[in-house]
Amino acid sequence: MSFFEEVFLLLQDKFGAAPDPSALDHSVLIEASKLHSCVSFLKKEAPVKMEVLLDIVGVDYLGYLHHEGPRFAVIYVFKSLSSPQSRIRLKVCLSEDSPQVPTISDLYPIANWQEREVYDQYGIHFEGHPDLRRLLNHVEFKGHPLRKDYPVHQRQWLSTNDFLLDVLEARLEEKGYKILERSKEVLPNDDEYLTGSIQK
Amino acid sequence: MTTKNQEANIFTSSLDFLVNWGRKNSLWPFPYGTACCAIEFMSSETARYDLSRIGSEYVRFTPRQSDVLLVAGTITYKQAPILKRIYEQMAEPRWVIAMGACASSGGFYDCYCTVPGIDHIIPVDIFIGGCPPRPESFFDAMFELQNKVADESYMKQRAERLREQVEALQEKSKACVASAQDYAKNTSENLSNTVRSKVSKALNTISLKKGS
Ligand code: SF4
Repeated sequence: MSFFEEVFLLLQDKFGAAPDPSALDHSVLIEASKLHSCVSFLKKEAPVKMEVLLDIVGVDYLGYLHHEGPRFAVIYVFKSLSSPQSRIRLKVCLSEDSPQVPTISDLYPIANWQEREVYDQYGIHFEGHPDLRRLLNHVEFKGHPLRKDYPVHQRQWLSTNDFLLDVLEARLEEKGYKILERSKEVLPNDDEYLTGSIQK
Repeated sequence: MTTKNQEANIFTSSLDFLVNWGRKNSLWPFPYGTACCAIEFMSSETARYDLSRIGSEYVRFTPRQSDVLLVAGTITYKQAPILKRIYEQMAEPRWVIAMGACASSGGFYDCYCTVPGIDHIIPVDIFIGGCPPRPESFFDAMFELQNKVADESYMKQRAERLREQVEALQEKSKACVASAQDYAKNTSENLSNTVRSKVSKALNTISLKKGS
């Protein structure tokens, strides 16, 4: 019995996993509600432990040929360090009305940014994520550009660049630094901060 | 044209020549490199191509000290306000070169996130085609820019600037005079009103006293 068959049987037993009909090898379908416990099992208890989260991928099946079922999917790709050729994919199907999955950023810190990216591009919400902001697109962007119904050529101007001092200071304080004083020049004095911005 | 003007012309054109000679042989670039084109710019800097022979070897990483904004790479919408701000921080005279297909037109990034040419945001003097342009094309653009700089008239620009300043001053003084007149009119009206009311009051009291 190969490693995958073994793990698959376990997942089927514990979390009601199903084989993925779209026939990606080493791919498993799982329900959103069971995702967190399943990932935790894969990381800590499985016979071959999955220590690395390689990627989180969003999929929009709108207009996909011969597709049945919900519109969105999120795919998690894991890799093991103890036996490096072992990989496994978890796929969660999500309906269009409530595209929500629990976050796994408490298990894998890298999932924080990967989930932010999927949220940014597909509008899929990750419940319990500590900081679900856009990652690649700018703050004034409306919509989610990798959804198939987003017009590819619809361009959106950003009027002024992000003010990231709050985020920076929060991170410094987290690391044990203390903010004693701020230079006046870095504070966004509304009018001044907006000169030089792009106003259409 | 009178003889007087012609005399002046001889003087101004020679000063222009001197200033332009200085400017065009010390064009310090600010490399705004955001993608692969910046790598090609680096090779223009190397000994093989040797940018310093036209006096542009001082790459300045601050907009305050540079003359040419060299936009080498893809500009996204997220990047656009930053580019604009950098341009506005540069001291005059300033020139802009858009290096490569991406900076000139968006290139093959025909999508939701890339600005289709930086001329949507800032004025551009020279566009260089190519993906990426070879250092030779970059040099060609620099020579072209030198020609352009040589054609500019420092004295004319100065005169225009002066005229603008004088006009602004005149506007301001006009506004000052108008507001002063307004003020004077208002105060005098107020004054006369108060005086009139006081006088009528006094008259009233007098007539009242008379009556009693
Ligand atoms: S024009 Fe080509 S080489 Fe230059 S930044 Fe764009 S993709 Fe890169």
